[in-house]
Amino acid sequence: MAVFLVQRLIRIPLVLIAVSALLFFLLQLQPGGFLNQYLEDPRFSAETVATIEHQFGLDQPPLTQYLNWVWNIVTQGNFGYSFLAGRPVASLIGEAMVWTIVLVLIAAAFTWLVAIPLGVITAIYKDRPWSRIADLVSYLGLAIPDFFLALLLVALVLQSGGSAVGGLFSPAYVEAPWSLARLGDLLNHLWIPVLALSLEGIASLTRQTRASLLEVLDADYVRTARAKGLSEFRVIVFHAFRNALNPLVVLAGLWLPGLIGSSIVVSKLLSIPAAGPLLYDSLVNKDQYLAMSLVLLLAALLMVGNLLADLALARLDPRVRYG
Amino acid sequence: MKRSLLILALFAATLAWAQPKTVAEYQELGVTVGKAGGTLRLSLPAAPQSFFYYGAIDSSLQTVAEQLFDGLVEYNYQTYQLEPALAKSWELSDDGLTYTFHLRAGVKWHDGEPFTADDVVFTFSNLVANPEARGGDAGSFTIEGQPVKFVKVDDLTVQFVLPKPQPAILQYARVPVLPKHKLLSYSVEGGAPPARINEAWPTDTDPAQIVGTGPFKLARYTPGQQVSLEKNPDYWKVDSAGNPLPYLDRLELVIVSDPSAQIAQFLAGNLHQINVTGAQFPDLKSREVAGANFRVVQAQTLFGSAPHLAFNFDAPNPELAALFSDLRFRKAIDQALDRAKIIDAVYNGLAELPGHGVAPVSEWYQDTRAYLGPYDPQAAAQTLDDMGLKAGPDGIRKLASGKPLAFTLTYATDSETSPQIATILQNDLRALGVQVHLQGILNNVLLTTALGGKLEAVLLSFGDQPDPELRAPIWKPGGSLYYWHPKTQSEPGQDPNFEAMQPFEREIYQIWQQAGAETNPERRRELYQNWQQLAAENRLVLMIAKPMGIGAVANGLENYIYNLGVIPGYNPVPLMYWK
Repeated sequence: MAVFLVQRLIRIPLVLIAVSALLFFLLQLQPGGFLNQYLEDPRFSAETVATIEHQFGLDQPPLTQYLNWVWNIVTQGNFGYSFLAGRPVASLIGEAMVWTIVLVLIAAAFTWLVAIPLGVITAIYKDRPWSRIADLVSYLGLAIPDFFLALLLVALVLQSGGSAVGGLFSPAYVEAPWSLARLGDLLNHLWIPVLALSLEGIASLTRQTRASLLEVLDADYVRTARAKGLSEFRVIVFHAFRNALNPLVVLAGLWLPGLIGSSIVVSKLLSIPAAGPLLYDSLVNKDQYLAMSLVLLLAALLMVGNLLADLALARLDPRVRYG
Repeated sequence: MKRSLLILALFAATLAWAQPKTVAEYQELGVTVGKAGGTLRLSLPAAPQSFFYYGAIDSSLQTVAEQLFDGLVEYNYQTYQLEPALAKSWELSDDGLTYTFHLRAGVKWHDGEPFTADDVVFTFSNLVANPEARGGDAGSFTIEGQPVKFVKVDDLTVQFVLPKPQPAILQYARVPVLPKHKLLSYSVEGGAPPARINEAWPTDTDPAQIVGTGPFKLARYTPGQQVSLEKNPDYWKVDSAGNPLPYLDRLELVIVSDPSAQIAQFLAGNLHQINVTGAQFPDLKSREVAGANFRVVQAQTLFGSAPHLAFNFDAPNPELAALFSDLRFRKAIDQALDRAKIIDAVYNGLAELPGHGVAPVSEWYQDTRAYLGPYDPQAAAQTLDDMGLKAGPDGIRKLASGKPLAFTLTYATDSETSPQIATILQNDLRALGVQVHLQGILNNVLLTTALGGKLEAVLLSFGDQPDPELRAPIWKPGGSLYYWHPKTQSEPGQDPNFEAMQPFEREIYQIWQQAGAETNPERRRELYQNWQQLAAENRLVLMIAKPMGIGAVANGLENYIYNLGVIPGYNPVPLMYWK
């Protein structure tokens, strides 16, 4: 177990270096630089381009730029400078991560709280008509793109005379100190993105739960448990469900970075200052250090998530531990 | 008695000393005397990158700065001519080399410090003309390698001393004047290295440190969400009835980047004004007609981007290069351009026939509409036939080499209008026997890619400006953005390559040279009109349309003047009020 852990921990920085190098290389292939969009501005001359490129070290060979960036991270924990924001990357990502984490955690809690019971119930009562309807709904959930759902909800809110159609707060609460009313206003704004971001997760997690539970419900040990006279609740929750959890734990490890990636469009549509739009803007504008730092963060989240999932799996399932 | 006399005398002295600017009546624009109070909420397309105007080129920063700061001169809302702002008057010496600005007395920074000539000299010498300032404009204050000198004559008088006459320099005097007492430590004069200036006033600065002379003060910035401004009670403008401006108590700029999200926020009442495109117009207009609590207005505007179709005279394929350099070919394509259809289908009719490098509402505009088309596909086909470009059995014309007459048109995929215009061009030219391959790329790399000189045809837009001189890099042959004829360009700072120019381009170049140094306004206008005429006659590029400015504004919000274009920063916010 310890060997496994050490191996995985060693692999993390290597993968991070490979990922950032690959992204840097891809960004270099992209035509033009972040200054292009300003060329038409009457104040912007060719000399200005040269001066700014020099200030940012963009006139150095790409390999030097990359190595300098890595060196500054390793020696000073400095992730570089965002060209667009004119500020260190770390503080910029920090600002955006606050709302990203809030959004993602609420979406996660909502997804699991809805999907797991729904999956269990549809597995147990798989032949009931309403179970079929739940099936159909989860198919639809998989098929509807999140941004489309967000637009639909916005239109519905507008239609019903509501005004919470984007952003995090109503005008009266943006600058107000924290209070219950402000929290209520925040929740009134957050339900659209949370619902839009959770729908696909709920649908797939429900189906996954249902499938893995169905698989174990016919197993001998479940029949044994029933034969022992255990209550149906104990049979399902402590015998069957526990063994159906494995694939779900693996899913959980993959889920966080996926959600940040998929929140790009929804966050943009709903004007939420989260990390998704930041990543998009940095890639489109070739704001290279910001883009690389964000991708690095996503890769790290993915790997740590996977590692935690593996550890949890090992804890749950002796076969994995000794396998 | 004595005391009240003294107070009266003091009051009179203050009045004589303070020199407020009375904003003109603008009756034709429907401006009325307003009443004080209220909050206006506008959208900001992105979070500002900084609060230091010369530290970044950023439209959000520009929008905020427009309300916080003032320039020496500003545009008249109706004529776009420059009129007094922080400078109450100015004069030009007879030799055309010295501009003397007389500053307005009694103007205060938001922290109460007096505004003086030191601030002006500091702003221009340390900020604007600092080549390391990312949003600076050192280039415009360097004439043929010689810097313009900024001289303080007394506390309220400043001179710009030019090495050579350059009348357009007044246009650059519009840029905001910033407080020396807050920025000195970041400047060269304050002992800092030149590039340090870019670190002034990042977005996490205490708002009280960011002071200007403008109609609003910075109150608070909530990262990624909102910039809040509040009324400057000491602002130096009054309305035509003598009431202090601005009328509004607060201005909130809400960060909403997606256009459809802006509309949703507007419909929900969270924004009071938005700029929209022709494509979004019908939906909003029908809501207005159905009784929604807002109105949609449209106007011919000065700013705003007019798309054009350009052919690369130096296309990599020599046969195409020769064809594109041939006026007959460009005329034929021009006649095959169905501008009426484009204006109708793409802009919902909310566009007009464009000028050639100058907006039709501009005082510099020369009416060149006779050279836009007229749409006549038969004549276009005849011209191509006469050039020997006969159609083959598949309907596609053949070049002299026997290859099909086909070219690639590069356009911006993420533009609201370009993809549709490109498709219309492709279809219409196909009917003419010319095959167009479409290549879409991102808007923010289109111009650089075009400047690479390897493209064949490009669909691109340049914004119009109040003075043609501001667009010299685009329209002056050999200029740094003259992308349709790259062989005329040379290294920065050197003369262009005259050999490569066609005769009419040489003529245009001479006109620009003369106009750049001409101080007589009438003569200047004449020269720039000659340029537009030549560019139009020779179909330098094929101008397509000039979109109208369209805005939606909440009912009850008055003095909403919409003739300056879609940039909210040019909106006359100080005049706007709630009825």
